Amino acid sequence: MAQEKLLSGCAAAAQAAKLAEVEVVCSYPIRPYTAIMMELVRMIHNGELDAEFVHGEGEHSQLSVVLGASACGARAYTGSAGVGVTYAGELYSPMAGGRYPIQMAIADRTLDPPGDFGSEHTDAMTFRDQGWLMGWASTPQEVFDNTLINYRVGEDQRVMLPQMVCQDGYFISHIPDKVIVAEPEQVKEFLPPYKAPHPLSLTCPVSHGPQIRPDQGAPMDAQRAAVFLEVPKVIQEAVEDYNRIFGRNYDPFVETYMMDDAEIAFFVQGAHATTCKSAIRNLRNQGVKAGLVRPRWVRPWPTTQLAEALSRVKAVGCVETSTSYGGAMRGGNLIHEVRASLYDLPNRPLVTSFMGGLGGEVILLDDFYYMAKVLTQMVKAKKTDKHVYWIGFEEE
Amino acid sequence: MAKVTEITVWTRGVVMDKEARDIANGFGKGAKMEGKFIQAFDNYEDLPDRVLVTTRKYVRISDEEIEMKYVYTNDHPDVVVVVEPTIVKGINVLRGMPEGGLLIINTNRPIDYMLQFIPNRDRLGAVATVDADSISGIRTVDFSGSEGGVDASGLGAGISAPILGAMSKVTGMVEKDSLAKVVSDVAAMERGYNEVTIQKFRKPRASYFWGG
Amino acid sequence: MSTIKVPKDREVPFGAVTPAPVTSQELFITSNWRIVRPVLDREKCALCFQCVMSCPDSCWSFNEEKEEVEWNWRYCKGCQICINECAAEALSAVPELDFPDGVVRLEKPF
Repeated sequence: MAQEKLLSGCAAAAQAAKLAEVEVVCSYPIRPYTAIMMELVRMIHNGELDAEFVHGEGEHSQLSVVLGASACGARAYTGSAGVGVTYAGELYSPMAGGRYPIQMAIADRTLDPPGDFGSEHTDAMTFRDQGWLMGWASTPQEVFDNTLINYRVGEDQRVMLPQMVCQDGYFISHIPDKVIVAEPEQVKEFLPPYKAPHPLSLTCPVSHGPQIRPDQGAPMDAQRAAVFLEVPKVIQEAVEDYNRIFGRNYDPFVETYMMDDAEIAFFVQGAHATTCKSAIRNLRNQGVKAGLVRPRWVRPWPTTQLAEALSRVKAVGCVETSTSYGGAMRGGNLIHEVRASLYDLPNRPLVTSFMGGLGGEVILLDDFYYMAKVLTQMVKAKKTDKHVYWIGFEEE
Repeated sequence: MAKVTEITVWTRGVVMDKEARDIANGFGKGAKMEGKFIQAFDNYEDLPDRVLVTTRKYVRISDEEIEMKYVYTNDHPDVVVVVEPTIVKGINVLRGMPEGGLLIINTNRPIDYMLQFIPNRDRLGAVATVDADSISGIRTVDFSGSEGGVDASGLGAGISAPILGAMSKVTGMVEKDSLAKVVSDVAAMERGYNEVTIQKFRKPRASYFWGG
Repeated sequence: MSTIKVPKDREVPFGAVTPAPVTSQELFITSNWRIVRPVLDREKCALCFQCVMSCPDSCWSFNEEKEEVEWNWRYCKGCQICINECAAEALSAVPELDFPDGVVRLEKPF
């Protein structure tokens, strides 16, 4: 019988990795994701998990180690946070282009300067162009589920891509919540073993990543782009299977909350979506028709699903917990892709963004009420005055 | 858009790479002194050169400012200079050459012997050979000019000097005196100018730009 | 499968993974790097296999039927290590231009 435990996001990720029977784990300490590795090493020490544990010299080494392990056909697991994610930067493209489906658990953290432990999504978002699967979880239960779903999607023979399973540092990674830990039989039914198509081998030797001719550069990129045309179908199958076997109720691509008759919508990813749901219920009691759309994937971006979910609202407010300095809207990075997704709609909603939760700060219910007020005013005025509002700095 | 004369210099990496760079840069500088507009650079994909791999350098000369700066692969070379003779055996150096192009080879073998390796020789206007190895005999090795840097040891100290002289005589695009101001080994350049052997295939016509 | 069409001669294998080790491939032929060619005097050859072992490109191989060492003319780069290493001094360096053929003629360097 699947047990319900009180686990933080880190512990949930470790439990899921144990159930996925990862074979090689490479660690390097950086707060706030460290707890995942601390849990895993305890499990390996106890004999609960039979895996190779390598302590890397740094995040760059971490990714290099798991790249090699995956190239040999082992299911590999690693993770990082904040500046650790950027330190490993060189490896993201080789990992995705070489089609090694490792998983990286990221409990995000603000980037330096200076040192700030708080959660910000920028660390993983910076690398969203490298060709990885990427998505944020909003509860520890979802971290657990995403770990298994991502292994299933990433290791599918049609996909073969590495995955970043991201969670907000501290909010999800350190605050415990109810997590139903699955039974090994359920996981076995859902997640087949990893089968590398061309592993490094003594009996059937291959060469990984040799030099190509200059005119093969574009075809290599085309191959990597073509994979993402296949991925949504695989995600759909995997999540439907997951819901069936484990009894969950996930929408494969976006979670919608009270969107049926919503006039304004919040677009939030990660932990603050939970606060947003409470705010929406209170706003509804006051007569504001608000709804929430939460993307479960940043890559592949759920373009059509987003357009469909937001097609009937009049205004969308993206809550950005990440920054894109000098970007088109001079704010965060979600707003660019939301606007691009909605551009072709016949009646596109007004879109603006709110910089909230930066530096790991809490987004209060009052902040959501302020955002709702701004959005309502936008709907009345039928135009967007500002595209970026900084929560806490604006004059009310 | 004025005609851009495309000159491709073929050489072998490391041991003769600097020589070809000297030829390209030297010829370009000579042409610039006479008021022409030039581009002179290495082919990027052939570098970093390994010992003996075939590499290319490009010189592009025009009477007006060259517009197509970045379509650089000299698909229709009017002049091909081969610094090491075995290259004509292994590479189709005349690929894309328009009718009446010129081929200059550094070798001591007779022209007829070299022509046996070139099946598509009928598009040539003339072939020339110069025995640069016996004239100068030095092959300088210096990496300072590769990767777009500035050559630290100067131009034309080795076999590039006689080849430059031969190019001046055969193509007629740059005067010997302009080259004398650019190269360091002027005597070798003069000898190359005098000792080049030319075999012409076609009578010179107005549409063929080469003199000599 | 939804895919992006690429011309067949420019295709890249999955994940840029290639079979290895191979004794020959068509994508990068290096015979035109040679200036000299090692010529074997079979009378002097002692079948010591120094050439087979010392060649960095594995261009010398032993043909068991004919009981002689064979030279791979398609990939030899003319580095002259085998000529140097030959214990019986059976190998000599002859300019490649002395031979009318024996080089793969390429359209482009690679």
